[in-house]
Amino acid sequence: MKTTELIATAEAIPVPAADIVAEYEAKRESLVARVNEIMLARSDLDALIGADNHAMMTDNHANHARFVTAVLARMDPGQLVDTVLWVFGAYRAHGFRKAYWSAQLDTWAEVLRADLSAEAFADVYPIYNGFIVNQPSFFAPTEDHPPTAH
Amino acid sequence: MSETAPLPDLPAVAQPYLDAVLAGDRLTASRVASAFLVSGRSIIELYQEMIQPALYRVGDLWEHNLISVAVEHMATAISERIMNERYGDIIAAQRIGRRALIASVEKEMHQVGAKMVSDVFEMHGWDAVYLGANTPLDDLVEMARSQPTDLIGLSLSVCFHLPIMERMIDRIQQDLPRIPILIGGQGLKAVGARVAEERRNVFYYADLTKLDLSVDAFSRD
Repeated sequence: MKTTELIATAEAIPVPAADIVAEYEAKRESLVARVNEIMLARSDLDALIGADNHAMMTDNHANHARFVTAVLARMDPGQLVDTVLWVFGAYRAHGFRKAYWSAQLDTWAEVLRADLSAEAFADVYPIYNGFIVNQPSFFAPTEDHPPTAH
Repeated sequence: MSETAPLPDLPAVAQPYLDAVLAGDRLTASRVASAFLVSGRSIIELYQEMIQPALYRVGDLWEHNLISVAVEHMATAISERIMNERYGDIIAAQRIGRRALIASVEKEMHQVGAKMVSDVFEMHGWDAVYLGANTPLDDLVEMARSQPTDLIGLSLSVCFHLPIMERMIDRIQQDLPRIPILIGGQGLKAVGARVAEERRNVFYYADLTKLDLSVDAFSRD
């Protein structure tokens, strides 16, 4: 999927109501803590991200939640796609495997389902679904020049 | 290190500067910047055509895992010193009695852009108080109250700090409703104009040239 198609997909995501955004933001730190707890407990973590990247991973989770908060509050499809492309490229260049993204995003989905209200989860999940199903497209710009580690 | 997609083109004039800051060669970087100005170019052109593109490239190099965080910080620190060397050219002799507070928003660790904006105001005779990175909102508001303040500038380099910037704008407008707010930075490329349009007394300029052309409008009563 080309970038223009990714943007069109992002444009189709409904903008959540203000109270949904407020709930996500209010729970942001606890959501990040829970995702970190689950990911740091994985026996395959070093295989997913490299042995020296635990701090970079937890930074990514904190930044991810801030980014999603910003996206929920003010959806700009072009900025969303540009930022996700940047994140996928930068972290992959620093040793994060493609499988990390699958594991991380599935973990976010699990934590959001458990910790958000049903209404909030229904409105927030489309963004995560977009991240999940479009992973191949987000990896595509770096496929011709993959990081040597993987 | 990893092999990655090619980096975007860098203006030719910025390459020697970039090479110098990446090597930690402050003297050469200073000479390159001086030669650029001696050739008849302006401070704003130095910032927009040499220092800013070079620092964006430094960011790209980190993104591609071609340099470390330490090298990135070194290049940035050298660039700030180079900018300080030009203070004699930046501080306008004629002062107009206007004061601006220029800061990067809370959590925002990038600050060179805010420093460039401060320098533009100084060139127009303003007293620009440059507050640097990660400026606490309460402290900013208190400082704006402590002395006559004619403008507050907020810089955002990372887009996911936007909700923080918007909360800062809300608080400043609640407590100091008469002070115009200038917003800018890479993080606002996609949404800066819209954020400004949606709010009273908030202004956005996409680059230093556009800001330079508009500063005097803030000086008028």
